[in-house]
Amino acid sequence: MAGRIGPSSRRASALRLLRRRLVQAVPLVLGVVVINFVLIHLAPGSFLDLMTAENQVSDPATVELLRKTYGMDDPLWLQLVKYIWALVHFDFGFSYRQNMPVIDAIRINLPATLLLMISSIALAFAVGVAAGVVASIKVRTGWDTLVSVLAMFFFAAPSFWLGIMMIVLFAVKLGWMPVGGMETIGGAGGGVGGGLGGILDIARHLVLPTLALGLFYAAIYARVMRSSMLEVAQSDFVRTARAKGLSRRRVTVHHVLRNALLPVVTILGVQMGTVLAGSVVIESVFSWPGIGSLLFDSVSSRNYPVVLGILVLGSLVVIVANAAVDLVYMWLDPRIEVR
Amino acid sequence: MKGPAFFSRFARNRGALLGAMVILLVALAGVLAPLLFPTDPLRIVAQPELWPGEDPALPLGTDSLGRDILAMIVHGARATLLIGLFASAVATLIGVSVGATAGYFGGWLDEGLMRGAELFQTIPNLIFVLTIVVILGSTLGHIVIAIGIVSWTPIARLTRAEFLALRDREFVQACRTMGMGHGRIILGEILPNALPPVIVLSSLVVAGAILFESAVSFLGLGDPNVASWGRLVGDGRQLIRSSWYISAIPGVAIMVTVLCLNLIGDGLNDALNPKLRDR
Repeated sequence: MAGRIGPSSRRASALRLLRRRLVQAVPLVLGVVVINFVLIHLAPGSFLDLMTAENQVSDPATVELLRKTYGMDDPLWLQLVKYIWALVHFDFGFSYRQNMPVIDAIRINLPATLLLMISSIALAFAVGVAAGVVASIKVRTGWDTLVSVLAMFFFAAPSFWLGIMMIVLFAVKLGWMPVGGMETIGGAGGGVGGGLGGILDIARHLVLPTLALGLFYAAIYARVMRSSMLEVAQSDFVRTARAKGLSRRRVTVHHVLRNALLPVVTILGVQMGTVLAGSVVIESVFSWPGIGSLLFDSVSSRNYPVVLGILVLGSLVVIVANAAVDLVYMWLDPRIEVR
Repeated sequence: MKGPAFFSRFARNRGALLGAMVILLVALAGVLAPLLFPTDPLRIVAQPELWPGEDPALPLGTDSLGRDILAMIVHGARATLLIGLFASAVATLIGVSVGATAGYFGGWLDEGLMRGAELFQTIPNLIFVLTIVVILGSTLGHIVIAIGIVSWTPIARLTRAEFLALRDREFVQACRTMGMGHGRIILGEILPNALPPVIVLSSLVVAGAILFESAVSFLGLGDPNVASWGRLVGDGRQLIRSSWYISAIPGVAIMVTVLCLNLIGDGLNDALNPKLRDR
């Protein structure tokens, strides 16, 4: 039963939810690993061939040694079992290109991607919900039309193209924003370690990538929020609230808005993987030093351990984000026990 | 639903009508591309970086190598639309098969298949597409299949919901009593009734697939033999300081096409589900 009596039973059901999510995550992650492992072994030419070619190793004895080190002589299923066993111990293998463990290579690049993801989702949520609310309150007016036209535009514009166009306008022509990167090279900022100046510098670099990635989702949320507001406004409990004599404003904020947010939160959870993938493209446009750059390097050099690691960790990010969304959902609507 | 009623409902939505007309034009351009621009669109025709309007013979100008942008856009229309359609077809085929099986049989099969769908929703989609394309090779076929593989889950969920709603209705029970096999009931009886909302979703998947493909090509991982619009945006990227139009024009083409496909989807939705029209 959903706890709607006191805060303690709500906390209990939140804990129960988290535990269930954790249990469900195990087969999911296992599935991701198996799919990608199989996929990578479908590839013509192993990463070992590439590695030996790149480092000009031709001595058969050395190749044989490498084969052994990487367990290439084991049957496929044993390689998989060994890989999973290693993953359980957070050992994602070794990246010969970065000359460091895969997990370290990803750890260096992940924060920038997470920063871009979070700021884009925050922007999308704020802008989308606000626009949807305005459109639904002013339904069938100029405001409503404006919101839906803008939403259609941003829903159809490819994010990478939007990014390039914003660079042309705001960075090249107007000079308001930096062209790319995460901090000014040789600037006084010195990144996060550089105190307020450094943080402001990063924030300035974050504006355009956030807009390019976030506006697409803002468009989706605006459309969903609008129709959800209109639908909730017609339900019985809203009519009751109005009949009780509550002000229009109070009904809209306390009754309609809160319930209308539920579908938006749902799709936000479903789209976490898409946002992560989308940030990879945006990173390429703005030379943002995140997972994207690592992925391209690894993909073009067939550095499979890193690719596998990114896919597995990316899926983990999605699972964690989904659990967070479920908690928000529960907070918004205590009646619901999320399955 | 009767044909004329469907068309009149669809036509009442002016946006959808406009979208359909534009898409028809784009498709026509794609089909007629070899007639309109019989020579190879990747051939160099004039000096590089000629701005649109500078030479009346080249209304959209030339790119960094001196190739006719209009010719490349028209030829790209064919590739872009075909990729979108086929990828959507792959996604619909997988999604309807999975959704129908899960919804009709229920039980552990349903549970297992839906867990599978969840799995595919968890993997970051574009990263997965890039991995598939890089591993199997950048050919049109692989790109289409990869996009289909990451796009089928919403279709499966919708089909499953429709099947759940329909599988115990009287006409299905009647078929069971008559001794009809599962295959015939699923394909011949339930599927036709479940299809209208699925078609709407498939039309939206076409738009999504075009965006996917353009991103893959933009990143330089598309089929090297195909000049799709996304690749043209990527090609022009190095020159945004001097000639930003080279990237801008193909991007507009992508946006207009996707926008019109979405308008068509909205129109189909109105025409097929009249109850939802005023949402």
